[in-house]
Amino acid sequence: MNAFFASVEQQSNPALRGKPIAVIGAAKRTIITTCSYEARAFGVKTGMNSWQARQKCPELIFVVGNNRKYTYTSKQIIGIMREYTPLVEVFSIDEAFLDVTGCLSLFGSAERIALLIKERIGKELGLTCSIGIAPNKLLAKLASDMQKPDGLTVIEPDKVSQVMERVPIQDLCGIGAKMQQHLAKFGIRTCGDLGRFPVEILKRNFGVTGERLHYMGLGLDSAPVVPEEEAEEVKSVGHSTTLDNDITERREILIYLLQLSEMVGRRARKYQVAGRTITLTVRYADFTTFSRQESRASHTNNSEAIYQAAVKILESLELTQAVRLLGVKISNLRHHTEQLPLFPAERKKALLANAMDDVNNKFGDFAVTFGSLLGKESGSKVISPAWRPEGVRNVDVD
Amino acid sequence: MQRLAERVKVAAIFAPGCQVKPVWFEWRSQKHAITRLSFFWKDHLGGASRLHFAVSDGSNLFELVFDTSDQNWTLEGVEEQ
Repeated sequence: MNAFFASVEQQSNPALRGKPIAVIGAAKRTIITTCSYEARAFGVKTGMNSWQARQKCPELIFVVGNNRKYTYTSKQIIGIMREYTPLVEVFSIDEAFLDVTGCLSLFGSAERIALLIKERIGKELGLTCSIGIAPNKLLAKLASDMQKPDGLTVIEPDKVSQVMERVPIQDLCGIGAKMQQHLAKFGIRTCGDLGRFPVEILKRNFGVTGERLHYMGLGLDSAPVVPEEEAEEVKSVGHSTTLDNDITERREILIYLLQLSEMVGRRARKYQVAGRTITLTVRYADFTTFSRQESRASHTNNSEAIYQAAVKILESLELTQAVRLLGVKISNLRHHTEQLPLFPAERKKALLANAMDDVNNKFGDFAVTFGSLLGKESGSKVISPAWRPEGVRNVDVD
Repeated sequence: MQRLAERVKVAAIFAPGCQVKPVWFEWRSQKHAITRLSFFWKDHLGGASRLHFAVSDGSNLFELVFDTSDQNWTLEGVEEQ
């Protein structure tokens, strides 16, 4: 999708159409989540803070984002795609891969399917998207980024090497700034350079990734389109939150840990997974980030047990700076679990968690919660890149 | 958008295919005819489904919400254009 959140806001509020707008979170730290193409023309970018953005574009209009509006719209778009092929792999809230090989006899050609999808998204939601058509996912993603907004780019199989010759390596999905720097040391700047570079030297320097890089340079990618129902089971369930202000008080940190533990526990119970390893992630004010983990004797999805493990990890740390972000995660998962507790105390805890879940299922998350969390803003404020429309990755957002 | 969360009286067409289209609403003793529905989305609060409508009366933008569990309409917010 093109500038997805900003386009949804411009569609919702016609007065914003054609104007430079930036979508920001409701939290006090106002970082730009995305901005309209009109704002991008002034140099406004995702990740800028509001002050920097205003310097670039004094007329910029800030809109507080509405995550539920975006997740609903994303689900509608995915629904449209699934009417053309069942092989839809959701890559993020506004990107998906479709394998239309088996549907060509129904619709004619990949281009026709692309045009039909674009037309439906435009007519039903008023939004534009850019579509890339190519023999594999790597090239389709590259093609979709070649023409924005509202583009349709086709890379024909016999034109791959010609197209790749001049494409800068950083345009390939999976090559970040660090890898770009590493490859530049070998004089590799374009995909053509990468494809021609001796694979043995790449393997020596980058291990197994070296071979993959070689194939990427040639425009080869054997990864299939994997729909959600065939995707691997998740390996962890976690939540993190950037705090409204940097904090140093242990008491305040504990409240956030309890809140995060409850979010993790509730989602784990909903999807019947339990974890044996609990990880605490801390980001300091200077963005230094580290994680520590602790494994328990048994699996759990009980919020209190997760919280106690996170507190134990916290107590083993000597925090040297104010904390900006906290995260709690369970991993080493057991799926489809429903362990019946043997002992009365454990049984009571499980019954209490079930009772709380029942109330919250009916009246909304945190309708009934721990006393320490009363009056505190709760819930996920950010759509994670791992968000998916169904399953355990489908995190309800505020 | 200025948040209001006020209960309002709404006239709506419930068409086949679970389509709901608000036609007018009364707010602060004034009737507002809806001239444009610019966006629709749905969310959940616990077990309740809530239908959100971004609508215009030709002057201002409003967000109307229909709660399917208690059948109430709420004027969630208004933005003067």
